[in-house]
Amino acid sequence: MPLLLGSYAPDLMSKWFVYGIHIGGWDLKASDPVQFHRGWPGVGFTHSLLYGVVIAFLFWRVLGSKTWAVSFLIGQWAHAITDTGDTVGTMLFFPWTIHIHFGAWAYAGQTGRLTDAAAYFSGPGALWDLVWIVYGIFSWRVLTRSYFERHVFTADAFWGRANRIVPMAALLVAYRAAFFYGTSRWIAWSLWAHVVHHYPYDLSWGGPHWVNAEHSPSLTWLQLVGVGAIVATGAAVVFVSRLEFGRRSWAAIRSRT
Amino acid sequence: MPSKRQLTVAAGYVAASAVYVAVGVWYTDFLFSFFVGLAYLLLVAWLVPLCVRRIF
Repeated sequence: MPLLLGSYAPDLMSKWFVYGIHIGGWDLKASDPVQFHRGWPGVGFTHSLLYGVVIAFLFWRVLGSKTWAVSFLIGQWAHAITDTGDTVGTMLFFPWTIHIHFGAWAYAGQTGRLTDAAAYFSGPGALWDLVWIVYGIFSWRVLTRSYFERHVFTADAFWGRANRIVPMAALLVAYRAAFFYGTSRWIAWSLWAHVVHHYPYDLSWGGPHWVNAEHSPSLTWLQLVGVGAIVATGAAVVFVSRLEFGRRSWAAIRSRT
Repeated sequence: MPSKRQLTVAAGYVAASAVYVAVGVWYTDFLFSFFVGLAYLLLVAWLVPLCVRRIF
């Protein structure tokens, strides 16, 4: 559950304002959707690594659950890193406000939700989603009742609490809903875009090029060096902490024998 | 390999997905929210079968 929450967290409160909504006589929409969604000032910080760390820390200290903290972090980081694949990218290292972007698929959020969906499901982004659908099908065992009962239900207290008022069968359906939704919407949007409306596929890098995509400026050499330094520092911290953890584990084993 | 029972369950979800896709292509608002998808799945994969079992 926290993994799913984390994966939705960056867009949870902001996407409606990017696309705009019509309530009564009011049109609510960001005047600069790209700036609002991915920039600063704006809510672009929700797509940063730091945002995930802060919320995960709150889950750990307030709820007292390391499972929720780590799972939320994995989900939120997965979203923030995945969105670096488009032409705008994310402020991954916020408060440093440069946009890390690989430009693999077009960012078209500012065009409205239908054109955005048509563009996303016509370009390399659709292939990226398909990779995860195929991976999910190959990992079908994680969707079985026995896996849910043995591994998921027991690992997260949320399910036990929910089970006081909701039967196990309904919880199992809810657990499967994320994969069901991701796969079904991929098929539906693909059919809508290519069978009903005949938007052309363009799987080239940065595509589809028929949409008016937004782009972030390329990083300067100095910025690239800075990003490299941050990544190298992070890798070093992980490496050293693993070494230290290994040493402590060995010391604990030796003290027992 | 999945068992016969697991394949039957999977077939039920595939059928539910087919209906979801058909409705979604016709009415795209159906596709935007995970919570709509969750509510739909709870309805067709849990509540309706439960009611049918209770009635018959």
